[in-house]
Amino acid sequence: MAVHLQALKKQYVAPDGGAVPVIDIADFSLANAEQVALVGGSGSGKTTLLHLIAGILTPDSGRIIFERGGERTGIQAEANSHELMVPTDITLLREAERDVFRGRHIGYIFQTHHLLPGFTALENVMLGMTFTGRKLDSEWATHLLREVGLSDRLNYKPDKLSLGQQQRVAVARALANRPMLVLADEPTGALDVRSAQQVLDLIRSLCTEVGAGLLMVSHDPQLTGQLPRVVELKNLNRAAA
Amino acid sequence: MSDLRRIFSDYGFYVLVVPGIAALLVLLAALFPGKLSLVFKQMRQRALGTALTLLLVMLGVALAVSVFLVLRESGKLFGQSDFGYDVLVGKAGSPLQLTLNTVYHLDVSPGNIPLSACAELLGPQCRPLVKAAVPYAVGDTYQGRYPIVGTLPKLFGYDDAGNLLPEESRIGYRQGHFYGIDGQCFAPDRFQAVIGSEVARREGLRIGSTFQATHGSPKPNETPDIHAEVWTVVGVMKETHTANDRVLFIPLLTFYTIAEHGTGLIEQERLREGEPPPAPEKHEEEEEKHYTVDADGRIHLTLPKNVLAISAILVKSRGGITGQRLIYKINNSTQKLQAVNPAAVMREFFDTFLKSGTTLLIVVAALVSLEAAVSILVSIYNSVAARRREIAILRALGATRRTVVGLICLEAGLIGLFGGIAGVLVGHLVGAVGSVYFERVVGEGIDWVAVGSEEMIYLGAVVLIAVLAGLAPGLKAYRTPVATNLVAG
Repeated sequence: MAVHLQALKKQYVAPDGGAVPVIDIADFSLANAEQVALVGGSGSGKTTLLHLIAGILTPDSGRIIFERGGERTGIQAEANSHELMVPTDITLLREAERDVFRGRHIGYIFQTHHLLPGFTALENVMLGMTFTGRKLDSEWATHLLREVGLSDRLNYKPDKLSLGQQQRVAVARALANRPMLVLADEPTGALDVRSAQQVLDLIRSLCTEVGAGLLMVSHDPQLTGQLPRVVELKNLNRAAA
Repeated sequence: MSDLRRIFSDYGFYVLVVPGIAALLVLLAALFPGKLSLVFKQMRQRALGTALTLLLVMLGVALAVSVFLVLRESGKLFGQSDFGYDVLVGKAGSPLQLTLNTVYHLDVSPGNIPLSACAELLGPQCRPLVKAAVPYAVGDTYQGRYPIVGTLPKLFGYDDAGNLLPEESRIGYRQGHFYGIDGQCFAPDRFQAVIGSEVARREGLRIGSTFQATHGSPKPNETPDIHAEVWTVVGVMKETHTANDRVLFIPLLTFYTIAEHGTGLIEQERLREGEPPPAPEKHEEEEEKHYTVDADGRIHLTLPKNVLAISAILVKSRGGITGQRLIYKINNSTQKLQAVNPAAVMREFFDTFLKSGTTLLIVVAALVSLEAAVSILVSIYNSVAARRREIAILRALGATRRTVVGLICLEAGLIGLFGGIAGVLVGHLVGAVGSVYFERVVGEGIDWVAVGSEEMIYLGAVVLIAVLAGLAPGLKAYRTPVATNLVAG
């Protein structure tokens, strides 16, 4: 799935009532299944941009268009009932529609794992399937946890897992719906170097497995450098320049 | 068929509750895949808070249900219109006191009336209205706990010679239900007794057992005044499920043989005649005996007939309006006697006292239920405040605002449902305790198992109120900003 951002603008209201531009992107595209690193300093609007693409926030103006970008093959083809058949501008969708769209087509990995504490690893992964209208697929959830090396931790709750393991559960959850795009907001920020590398490898390999694109925000040049394309937000976002 | 329908209507709740809940949960799980288990996990996650809220709901519902139960069943108990007789005659005074004392053996007797009144009821003036009349004399107890009643074999359907009377002349305990006796009926002139089934069971009395009467009902720290006379049990009544199961019936004649009774009756008569007050009370051993016993063991009273008194007369009228006519006749012909219809008295008592009291209890129960609903609201509201980040995660995973509100209302509704069902069950257990109390006091328990339609409606209302209580925290969750809470996390 390809994503196109056109004339996208977002500004916040400062405490003094003034407008603070955060995002001002004339044009940006992410090709089908492309893996892109987004780098930039603090406050440059990285997280806001991910929230806009995910439909969590709405832009003040501009378009965010998702379109089908080629045939999916292998495992990911199993989920083609929810394939995007027509280009969709999520800025035109109502909030509830954006929520459903996000649930079905976008996987989100947060900096801190954001797992639900009362749920086991398997339940957390399956939670990602709950709001899509699809049948819950525990086999797929188990497969994902096996892929991230947690097949022996399926029934562990987050407080019984290490930080790295928790983040791996979060990666599995982001892929639970076989999304077309994975947005990762500093997914390795809280991890040591070794764990960070493991998590990045998992994200990339699972995105490849399901045919999903990846837009990853990170401060770590060691990691971002491993992705095929690195985008400096200050070059993209006029508001951050 | 109608019996089956009634049984199902009364007890269907117990049959349907488990499969009903199971079906509801399956339906919810099918309609909202994954969401029901999500709600259960959220409830499990804060198990203590959920358990305490469930407890509050359960207690509120239990209180309300026990009130419903007692109201309904006491209405049946005290609102009964069939005692086997339809007129009570006693000393002029409170109709309620006369009825409670004679029918349920509660309270004290309003006073004595001449035994001759009973004969008059069967005399030519009243005969067209009266089918049967049986005297009752009360005042003594067995061990201070079980009333002793002096009466005639006629109460049990026998004449003085021990022959069974025709049904139309017998007084039963319900229409068409006559007293059955294991053993035999007492002879009218011997120290014999027929005792109620509960007395026999609880006190281990059986045919051949003997007992003495205690004067009145002594208080716990009072020395009981035990009369010298000894009665022998010759019959045990079959269970009637009335207050009479707790009574020991003795021949009326033997009631007068008790020295204090005889002396008391003479002194009362002297007072009525305007003679000077009696001398200070003698000790029992000095009391004069007012009877002799012949070689055959038969008792002969030496008291003058005009002093003999009783507490009440049970009258079976000839049906139709003859009962009302008799009541009118007695109440308008003398100021010393009163005649009442016990069913009408109990109905009035129920409507005047119990119903208004129960209205207050229902208001209290409603307030407690409301308080339980507020507790659901507060509990979930606080949990929503603590779960903002989780709600934001759910939203990020694709849950719409409506879905989040629905999840919270579902959680509130399930707490209402489970707490409510537990409350219904506990309420009926309270009813079971009430039944034991009623059985002890009036000799008749209540059907504490049956679940009335009003309880089902109430349960539905509780679930609905619980769901509505979930709306306030739901609204809070609805307004939870996703981006802010995700970043804050």
